[in-house]
Amino acid sequence: MNLIRVGAVIRRHWLVLWRGPHRWFEVAFWPVMDAILWGSLGVYVSTAAGSANATVVALMLGGMTLFWTLTVVQMTVSLSVMDETNTRNLLNVLSTSVKPIEYLLGVAAFGLMKLTMTMTTITVMTTIIYGFALNSLGWNAIPIMLLLIVNGWALGFVILGLVLRFGPSAEILTWGLNYVMLAISGVFFPPSALPGGLGNVVRWLPTGLAFDAMRTIVRGEPAPAGTLWTAAGGSIVVLVLALAFCGWMLRVFRRRGFVTRYS
Amino acid sequence: MPPTPAVDARALVKSFKGRRALDLVTLTVAAGERVALLGPNGAGKTTTLLMLLGAVTPDSGTVEISGLRLPRHRSKAMLRVGFVAGYLPLPENLTVRESLELFAGFAGLRRRQARIDEAAEAFGLTELMSRRNQELSSGQRTLVSIVKAVLHRPALLILDEPTASLDPDIAARVRQAMLEAHRRDGTALLVTSHNMREVETLCERVVLLSQGRIVADGSAFEVASQFDVEDLESAFLAVAEAQRGPR
Repeated sequence: MNLIRVGAVIRRHWLVLWRGPHRWFEVAFWPVMDAILWGSLGVYVSTAAGSANATVVALMLGGMTLFWTLTVVQMTVSLSVMDETNTRNLLNVLSTSVKPIEYLLGVAAFGLMKLTMTMTTITVMTTIIYGFALNSLGWNAIPIMLLLIVNGWALGFVILGLVLRFGPSAEILTWGLNYVMLAISGVFFPPSALPGGLGNVVRWLPTGLAFDAMRTIVRGEPAPAGTLWTAAGGSIVVLVLALAFCGWMLRVFRRRGFVTRYS
Repeated sequence: MPPTPAVDARALVKSFKGRRALDLVTLTVAAGERVALLGPNGAGKTTTLLMLLGAVTPDSGTVEISGLRLPRHRSKAMLRVGFVAGYLPLPENLTVRESLELFAGFAGLRRRQARIDEAAEAFGLTELMSRRNQELSSGQRTLVSIVKAVLHRPALLILDEPTASLDPDIAARVRQAMLEAHRRDGTALLVTSHNMREVETLCERVVLLSQGRIVADGSAFEVASQFDVEDLESAFLAVAEAQRGPR
């Protein structure tokens, strides 16, 4: 492991962000739109129910904010390899001494940098407009965020592997998978609200458990340690499986000579 | 004891979707040697180069770069290799200096600025350092690509069609840059090109590929003699004709 190479990967993607105005939409524009959408929906639903209820707004904004944690980290990792393929820079990177694990570590770390920027935007917006900030959940927000960061990395690594294997056609997953996770992780509702037996199938998803823990805390109950520990164990398993999958896809990529797609 | 060869690839075999792209190719490049890898389109040149970079895995056969076996020691081996392809762009929206800093970082270099400034000076790029890559001409981009590939002073420089689609005067400058890298650090060159005159000027040895097999290996004169023709271009045409088959 060479930290200079990891740093170079971070710098590479920082420059892509810094020099690409459209990339700031992910950091500053879409999160603000989401804050307005879910915050206003929360205010409306709670008012329509009879009286304004701060818990409903907190559930909506808490879910939205934490979901952006998963989204930003996942998209940063997935978009990294797409940046290399779209600009035909992949072979330039592959012909250097950067190891796959150094590359993954670099984009994972850059995901945290981007997350910090996005969270700052969201927190400022939701505090000003709705008087809600994620730190109102207290220290309990930290383990939930950590769980979602790990799951965001894992999802990003899976998509990165699929992009290597299937090429540009897999890019749709970068955005599309967010909607799947939004639905099955019970971001705004418990898994039991899902139709049919789907709730029973997905109730053990680490992301679902993390959002379940968030709802418990928002209701004013103590942090469910058991749920969080179960989610932590599941997240580690998911991360290890995602890394193994990514490594497998890289071997397929090299064996089948897919690099010629981008050269 | 002879110095470790820059490239020692043995019995490389590769098939794509049932079609044999490389068939028992054995290629060695001695330290400091200048070798051209030639052949008609589809002969297997780029596949061979990609295997030497570890970007494509052979079905069978072995690759060693400066004595380091791939894929096990790929990262260390790539510290001994620089790669330039005429068809690959540089990262968009970056200045020349930023691009060079990036690739110096990918090579894990510590004192990057001094190395970058020194290389830019040696290859006449100093005035371009603050320009963005997309503002450069094709020739300037190729020169920058060569500089980014030699920043870490590799033992081997792999160049895939470095002068393709360049004007003759710019191509001459690029050839000078390649020779400068060879002269400065004793870097071995492995070059693919469709310009036979360029190959005769630049390389001391020619390896001719056809349909995934090596069909000739020697100096330009020896290769031409093998096909009983006057020059390398005629030898190339004979091979291309044979690869196309009867019409």
